[in-house]
Amino acid sequence: MALSEDEIKAAMIEKATKAPKPQLYIKDFYACDPDTKPRVIKNIANALVKEGKLMFWSSGSTTMYARPDRIKNEEGAEGIN
Amino acid sequence: MAKHDTPLLDELESGPWPSFVSDIKRQAEKNPDCWDILGQLELSYRDKITHWKHGGIVGVFGYGGGIVGRYSDVPKQFPGVEHFHTVRVNQPSSKYYSTENLRGLCGLWEKHGSGMTNMHGSTGDIILLGCRTEALEPFFWDLTHELGQDLGGSGSNLRTPANCLGKSRCEWACYDTEEACYHLTMHYQDEIHRPAFPYKFKFKFSGCANDCVAAIARSDVAVIGTWRDDIRIDQAAVKEYVAGNIPSNGGAHADGNWGAFDIQKEVIALCPTECMWMEGGELKIDNSECTRCMHCINVMPRALRPGAQQGASVCVGAKAPILDGAQFATLIVPFMEVSADNEFESLIEFIENIWDWWMEVGKNRERVGETMQRVGLPTFIKVMGLDPIPQHIKEPRSNPYVFWNEEEVPGGFERDVDEFRARHAA
Repeated sequence: MALSEDEIKAAMIEKATKAPKPQLYIKDFYACDPDTKPRVIKNIANALVKEGKLMFWSSGSTTMYARPDRIKNEEGAEGIN
Repeated sequence: MAKHDTPLLDELESGPWPSFVSDIKRQAEKNPDCWDILGQLELSYRDKITHWKHGGIVGVFGYGGGIVGRYSDVPKQFPGVEHFHTVRVNQPSSKYYSTENLRGLCGLWEKHGSGMTNMHGSTGDIILLGCRTEALEPFFWDLTHELGQDLGGSGSNLRTPANCLGKSRCEWACYDTEEACYHLTMHYQDEIHRPAFPYKFKFKFSGCANDCVAAIARSDVAVIGTWRDDIRIDQAAVKEYVAGNIPSNGGAHADGNWGAFDIQKEVIALCPTECMWMEGGELKIDNSECTRCMHCINVMPRALRPGAQQGASVCVGAKAPILDGAQFATLIVPFMEVSADNEFESLIEFIENIWDWWMEVGKNRERVGETMQRVGLPTFIKVMGLDPIPQHIKEPRSNPYVFWNEEEVPGGFERDVDEFRARHAA
């Protein structure tokens, strides 16, 4: 049975906090509730961005999600990323 | 920002073609930050490595696309390009601009960015190159409030849809490409502005098989105008072409000495399915063999026109060569009604079926065409709820393989081997 939206949000935040890599693809969140459709997971991920609990990281061709406190701000950083 | 010595780049100005180096130098006279673009590029040519850092977290509030973060990895050496973000702006349908709008866009970019533009990117949108992070929100405010324009797509979003001139100028458009592009752009605002997919997704709209926006080569869903009845022929005009009284190709070859028009050589022999011939001074077409390639219509536009029952073919899965090589889209629906009367219902249903499947099955950074290739066309067609048809087969007249599913075979695949061997000894 599908989890509630709040339960999915909590699972997604936990995943984004504990994952070895800070940046996650949207598909990485599907496992938070396999019974929920990918488009619903996508909407919840974007809602978490709106709430400031996740943020986007984009290479230009692909967009990933990360916890704001786990992601490096490139501004002022020297060296190749 | 000071001018740098750029001997390697300077060489690029010596060729016969317009040079981007000259363009940047001209802009640098107005905006000295642009000298650092050239300085950093010269360094990259010497080091044989890019000095742009890839990606970032920049954007405007509420949007998850339209801004591509770009930072220099040598900002102390080239402070003018320390931040050099790209902004993608949704282009007007068919790329129609007023000079007032173009001046507005350029003025806005001189005010907030480097002044460097790329009109247009391969997806079709307006590319504004070089902006500092703190200038993004003020630029976005002015863009939306002063010019009434919006950002386009980037990242794993639906990319900015694009269309040909369509019925606004072209007699061959088999559906209203501008209306379709506008309607779907508005319908999918959320998908354009916020990431939704495993990777990028594009759709493009061409009014006929001339495909002026290269939909079949560049888009995940290519909607290409076509017709399903017969090519309309004006036999009197055919005779005028044959007599040389109407220039072929709308006079496009009038400036060269190509000799007299030869319908046999220039039209009939070039038909890819050999479905045309002359009989009693009239042009005949076996329309059941015609692939609607547009060649004959292009050559004799006053004699031949697309048929009257018009719509679009829908092809899926084109992409540029990032992974796995470039590929053209595959024909999936030979004919679909594409109409604003039902708000493009069939097309929207088709697109969303693809999305529901691809979002689940597609791997990270895998275009839908690559997913199709991985699972195979028969599986994709089945998932889409379509029946296989000859048009799905690359060479239907020579491919001898027919695959059946068990449920399609009377009695299934189960059989009594002993009974079979009683009739056919091993």
